[in-house]
Amino acid sequence: MDREGCELSHLMRRISETPPDFLDEPRLGEQGTVAVSAVVGDLCRWHGADPGSAALAAFAMGTPKSDRNRLRVSLLLSWVLADGWFRTADLRAAPLFPLLSQGASELSEHGSVEKLITDPERREELARFCLARLGFRPQGESRAQAEDRLTSLSAAERARVLRASRAAEERARAVREALARKAAEESADKYTRE
Amino acid sequence: MSEPSDLERYPTLTEHGRRMLQRLREHPCAPMFRNESGNRLTPDDVATVRAFEREVAEAEVPEQREESAAWLTEFLQRVYREVPFYRALGGAPRRLSDVPTISRGDLGHDVARFVPDSAPVARLINFRTSGTTGHPLLIASHPLVAASYLAFHRRALARFGVTLRARRGEVGVALLGYQRKCFTYVSVTPTLDEAGLVKLNLYPDDWREPEDRRKYLEELAPEVLAGDPISFVELLKLRAELRPRALLSTSMALLPALRRALEGAFHCPVVDLYSLNEAGPVAAFDPACGGHVLLQHRMLVEILDVRGKALPNGERGEVTLTGGFNFCLPLVRYRTGDFVARSIRRRVRTRGARGTRSGALPHAGRRVAEQHRGDSRLGPVRAAPVPAPATRGRLARAACRRPRLTRIRAACGIASAVWG
Repeated sequence: MDREGCELSHLMRRISETPPDFLDEPRLGEQGTVAVSAVVGDLCRWHGADPGSAALAAFAMGTPKSDRNRLRVSLLLSWVLADGWFRTADLRAAPLFPLLSQGASELSEHGSVEKLITDPERREELARFCLARLGFRPQGESRAQAEDRLTSLSAAERARVLRASRAAEERARAVREALARKAAEESADKYTRE
Repeated sequence: MSEPSDLERYPTLTEHGRRMLQRLREHPCAPMFRNESGNRLTPDDVATVRAFEREVAEAEVPEQREESAAWLTEFLQRVYREVPFYRALGGAPRRLSDVPTISRGDLGHDVARFVPDSAPVARLINFRTSGTTGHPLLIASHPLVAASYLAFHRRALARFGVTLRARRGEVGVALLGYQRKCFTYVSVTPTLDEAGLVKLNLYPDDWREPEDRRKYLEELAPEVLAGDPISFVELLKLRAELRPRALLSTSMALLPALRRALEGAFHCPVVDLYSLNEAGPVAAFDPACGGHVLLQHRMLVEILDVRGKALPNGERGEVTLTGGFNFCLPLVRYRTGDFVARSIRRRVRTRGARGTRSGALPHAGRRVAEQHRGDSRLGPVRAAPVPAPATRGRLARAACRRPRLTRIRAACGIASAVWG
């Protein structure tokens, strides 16, 4: 969240104005109408990034029972990220594809697409989530304010923070163990010793 | 866990290196080597170290101002992204002065929080210091970092017109200790064509006969002798016929009288290094300058007061380090516990070096200086002129008798480590 993004209300308004086309059923096999992989691919290329057909295949695979909500969130995110502000922000180096794939998967575990659009808090969560995953904070907010608010709103973000915390602790444990090894104590050559 | 093999200790060892190790270990006068160690450098590592040595040789040490450190912004962003301690603080501040200072205690509490995510756990090594309080502190490091010390030694030696030449079949360095118990081993240095490296304890208990110390050293004829003033005092007592090209002194202040005695005995420059396990060689004392000159081009040295405010030149404060070459422990505003004042002189010619140089200014009994070479600036660190003992035999005792020994330890970067 090092960069300042757009106004939060701007994105929340866009979310509330999501066209019905983006709420249609994602195509999975013979079912559904919207080819999510095509939408995501178009969006990425519009932003100057090409994820490649192999990566996009993940948006056409799965079953309605397990993947429907994930793909619907990807569609909703595609609508949000097609906002003109994101185009001007230059997302070529930003983790756009991970947001559309992994980010959508995380959000889908904690609620439906309809909830993300109609519930004011979930709408705010979605807007903040998009900005944060792309390295932005809402306009007028400090990084700390933005992080606190997102963590308090978003179950997905809380889960991410928890995973990161566990990973950090695991890493610290590995470092401590590595430093404690006898092999490490044997050290390596220096031309002088302090 | 099993003992490391020779292949792990010396991944690039050739037959020449093997013969050198055998010679060092099996000489009739060789001491008891209590430990095993090695360079642990892979072929890729050796290439990396050589490239780093070229970089250091060509680099200028910039003026010690935040604005002059072109590497600083990217460094801070990386540290705040990869180091758990700093990541928890949020985004990287735009100014270094907005970063909180840390000290030895912070590292001692849990050094793992200061190791970046990118540091390869499988190759971590440690250096252990006991510090002023006697509490041990582990410093995370890497074989590449250890091997990179030599780049800064070369830079320091170049100020005295010394270029290292030891090659295959010769002994590059003998590291000397003088402790009841000391980490001792033999190795070879791949970047010097497997020249020998030996870490010795001159304490008589490690030798069959006390006289073997002299015989062994004379037989090895090391190009460089490295040690601390205590071990150098013992070395003088041996009256060995040695002709090293330089002596490197670390761990505590080298008194002028001992320096003169060593120079007289060995007819070579004696380089007093300000070096810390936490940061490696930071500065070298140049008598012609009257202070210590900085060695690292990617390190910013601040002199801070107790509140963390940068002090103007001439005022005495704590040496605080940012940057460095230990990628396993990047330092950001690390308070060393060493107190100096800094002065700046310009446009005085250096010995054998291009550009300009300064003299030094005494400040409250301590001398420091900051130098400019051409458009660069070499900074000083620590220095503590103290009453010089008159005779050799008193030198070591005097070093320990000085007031505020613990602060002196800090001022000199003494590690009083198990390594000696």
